Amino acid sequence: MCKSLHKTSNKFDFFKQLFPGVILLLSFTGCGGYSDKRGLAEGDTLLDALGREVRLVRKPGRVMALAPSMTEMLFFVCDTGQIAAVTQNCDYPAAARRKPIVNNYPMDFEALLRVRPDLVFAVEGITPLADARRMEELGIPVYYQQYHTVEDIFTGIETVGRLTGNAARAVHLTDSLRRVKKEIQTQTAGLQKPSVLAITWQDPIYVYGRNTVFTDKLAIAGGRNAVDTVFEAQYPALTREYVLKINPDIIIGGGFGKMDSTFFRQYPELRRINAYRNRRIYDLTDDLMARPGPRVVESILELKEVIHGKK
Amino acid sequence: MKTAHLCLILLLLTVTVLLAGLFVGSFQTDFRTLQGAVFSYNPDDPAHFAIIHLRLPRLLLAFIVGGGLAFSGYLIQAMVNNPLADPYILGTASGAALGANIAFFGWLPAVALGFYLPPLFAFAGALGVTLAVVAMAWRKGYIVPTQLLLGGVAVSSLITATNGLLAFLSDTEGKLKTIIFWILGSFERAQWSDIPVPLSALVLSSLLFLFLHKQLALLLLGESRARHLGLNVSRLRWLVLITASLVTGVAVATSGAIGFVGLMMPHLIRGLLGTGGRWNTLLTAWAGGVFIVACDLLARLIYPPAGLPIGILTSFIGVPFFLYLLIKRDYRFE
Repeated sequence: MCKSLHKTSNKFDFFKQLFPGVILLLSFTGCGGYSDKRGLAEGDTLLDALGREVRLVRKPGRVMALAPSMTEMLFFVCDTGQIAAVTQNCDYPAAARRKPIVNNYPMDFEALLRVRPDLVFAVEGITPLADARRMEELGIPVYYQQYHTVEDIFTGIETVGRLTGNAARAVHLTDSLRRVKKEIQTQTAGLQKPSVLAITWQDPIYVYGRNTVFTDKLAIAGGRNAVDTVFEAQYPALTREYVLKINPDIIIGGGFGKMDSTFFRQYPELRRINAYRNRRIYDLTDDLMARPGPRVVESILELKEVIHGKK
Repeated sequence: MKTAHLCLILLLLTVTVLLAGLFVGSFQTDFRTLQGAVFSYNPDDPAHFAIIHLRLPRLLLAFIVGGGLAFSGYLIQAMVNNPLADPYILGTASGAALGANIAFFGWLPAVALGFYLPPLFAFAGALGVTLAVVAMAWRKGYIVPTQLLLGGVAVSSLITATNGLLAFLSDTEGKLKTIIFWILGSFERAQWSDIPVPLSALVLSSLLFLFLHKQLALLLLGESRARHLGLNVSRLRWLVLITASLVTGVAVATSGAIGFVGLMMPHLIRGLLGTGGRWNTLLTAWAGGVFIVACDLLARLIYPPAGLPIGILTSFIGVPFFLYLLIKRDYRFE
């Protein structure tokens, strides 16, 4: 299922086809400061995930996101015409490549003013608060989201839907994602949970830490994060000794051949770990791993496939 | 202070930091584990393996690199007769970082014939930039110190800007972190195979300048006075230049550019023992080694598990200590 999902040219179409017949379920959970029933309007004040007050200058008809994952969310729930621009790193779905580009690093305020979205979505840790303050001084409100679990992503999608006037579509789509997630959980419930280390960079060794969405994705896919300590950094740098100590059963970061000639050539001491001895070293789709967006379920399926095989 | 007293203090500090370094790591280590790893090594015991193959080479490499940088700093300060000089004044560090960064950016292969190449490129970068700076300062067979310093500062700035540009152009956060670690230094990559080259360079150079300590002391008096006292200034400068560049290049290629130790340690030793001491170069290297091992240990304790880039700590610890020396002690360079 995972691979078929992978090769689908537009994955959003997959979900949209899977669950036709949109049932309008307006489940406003309350953002504060405005009446959900009347929708958003100029002057409304929202509270974002960082607890910041976001005052709308206009009703958010045209929006943009400053992270590829959130751009995917926008395309997932909004009409394409609502999306004012994307960043230089946003390459999915294909329609994103046809949008005007606003650089997010360094932030191109002039380009942002040119497209002038009514609301900008940002992800904590990617867009500095100083940039957000500058945008707000320029009259463009910024709404932050943050994700620690898969459920946070689903909630984030629903929030995007609610703020852009697409609440029903968002809820319908997240319902479908939750169903697939639950199905995967049922399949992996009784299985052994091997430890998995996901490497994001080899020199120094950076990995997905415990306090990332990856840990939750792994738990759903029937594995566990080999990193057994919560470090201050979400993506901590590890020593070879630490990797030896946690002795992961599976490593994600590249195919066996490539990792053997790079990572394990550089750190031959790590050839003692279980993952190397049992050749359980895999390459996964980078964007699926890294982007906490609507393709998170695909990412979980991909993880499940390398952990427990195709079933 | 007497040399013997300083040796005793350094010996105590060396034993303390090396022992502490052997105990600190991801595997819980007590005295018994350490004893077992050293005297009845079991390759199947992961703790034994970590102590012998990860911690010990890391400690030794830190000691050698720290020693090499401090030693080079002493030589370079004597050569250009300037207390502000350090081993990186010739652009060695920025050149090394540039060489390694080019490999990290994929413009040169990072691995070839099974060898991890960034250290080699780093050494090539260090050597290339040093030679360029020396060429600028070369006038009819003589090295002109002022030209050397100014040329070094200018070329270093240019290469630092290039490194900055590379960092800015990093398309992944990982590349950026690699560059940061390379610029600020780390011993996490240390392996036994990294030890022989920098160790040989340091030992041979130290022995050479142990024999040349009188000439080095004369050079500290200034060029004209040294010449009047019969010193072949030009030849000694060449010797210092080649030695310091080699030792620094090898050190930087192994573990990145670690700042401040090369500037501070020579001042510390001269401040304690005077400028003309026979053992000054050796003691500077020893103190530099101890200092860097201590910084590496602290870096791992403060920000586990991988530790802060060590260059950050060397400055944080070194600068206040250096300022104390400047303010409290009646210390002069000459």
